[in-house]
Amino acid sequence: MASIADPDEDLVRRVGQGDPAAIQTMVARKLPRMLALAQRMLGDAVEAEDVAQEAMLRAWKQAPRWRPGKAKFDTWLHRVGLNLCYDRLRRRREIPTETPPDRPDDGPAPDRGLLAAELGQRVDAALRRLPDRQREAIVLCHYQELTNIEAASLMSVSVEALESLLSRGRRALRQSLADMAPGADVDSRETGRKAEWI
Amino acid sequence: MTMNADRLKILAETYGADRRRWPVAERAAADTLVARDPATAERLMFDARQTDAALDASPRPAVSAALRDRVIASAMAAGLSPRKARVVWDRLVLWFGAGWAAAACAGVIAGANLTQHLTADDRADAVLYQAGLAGVDDTEVLG
Repeated sequence: MASIADPDEDLVRRVGQGDPAAIQTMVARKLPRMLALAQRMLGDAVEAEDVAQEAMLRAWKQAPRWRPGKAKFDTWLHRVGLNLCYDRLRRRREIPTETPPDRPDDGPAPDRGLLAAELGQRVDAALRRLPDRQREAIVLCHYQELTNIEAASLMSVSVEALESLLSRGRRALRQSLADMAPGADVDSRETGRKAEWI
Repeated sequence: MTMNADRLKILAETYGADRRRWPVAERAAADTLVARDPATAERLMFDARQTDAALDASPRPAVSAALRDRVIASAMAAGLSPRKARVVWDRLVLWFGAGWAAAACAGVIAGANLTQHLTADDRADAVLYQAGLAGVDDTEVLG
């Protein structure tokens, strides 16, 4: 099997040797990614911090015995982070809470305009309403900027299945946020036209 | 897969309008198609671009200083002690070891000297005792 080029290889080696500068660099490079992954998968800031911290702890334990060439360290770390997220999502389903499910989106009408923060909140809420697997596909490909092959491998699905999850997830998001795009109907009609250079 | 308007639209609806997120194998062909008719391509990718913009409105969570400090501290807890500190520790261990070895050697030498003095005193006493006795061969006492 061909060896996989890993941009983190040297950094992981130095972390494994206990180099303080490398540890700082690893934190700067990976902690924001793990926090973003967990926050968007779980939609809970406190739980996201716990997951990010646990994922980094596992990275510290793994670094001294990391064998380069088999996988990218970033992909391995995402696997750890996703497993931790799914553990928590499973626990949520097992422990019924009194928190009511997300209400249908009753955000402000488009003519009132949206502040950036409100817009972000509405998008986050729409993301949380997606089925877990669709949300995971969008989080990995859009926010974490993994390649389709990396994301499909992490999700243990084919690239075709990943593409199906992505397109269904994005369509559901677009429908959920349709009122935020004034004139979207007109645009959709326009984009539905056959292109001249087909 | 053949790149045409339909495929371009499908890729945009799947991966978004930013072609850096598209499958590597199809990017070059898509770039060529877009370059040939940018206006039509943009029209096909309009919905996807809107969805991208909405997704990008989701704020990226910021790492607090407290979380960063906890994570750095956890590296130490996981046994990743900085090499510099490890070298200092190794040297300390070496110095302490050498000190203990030197003390042990000094103890052995002092013990040996003390034993020699005691043996000499015993032998002198034995000679004096023997001198006071009649009819005893020196060799019996001194060996």
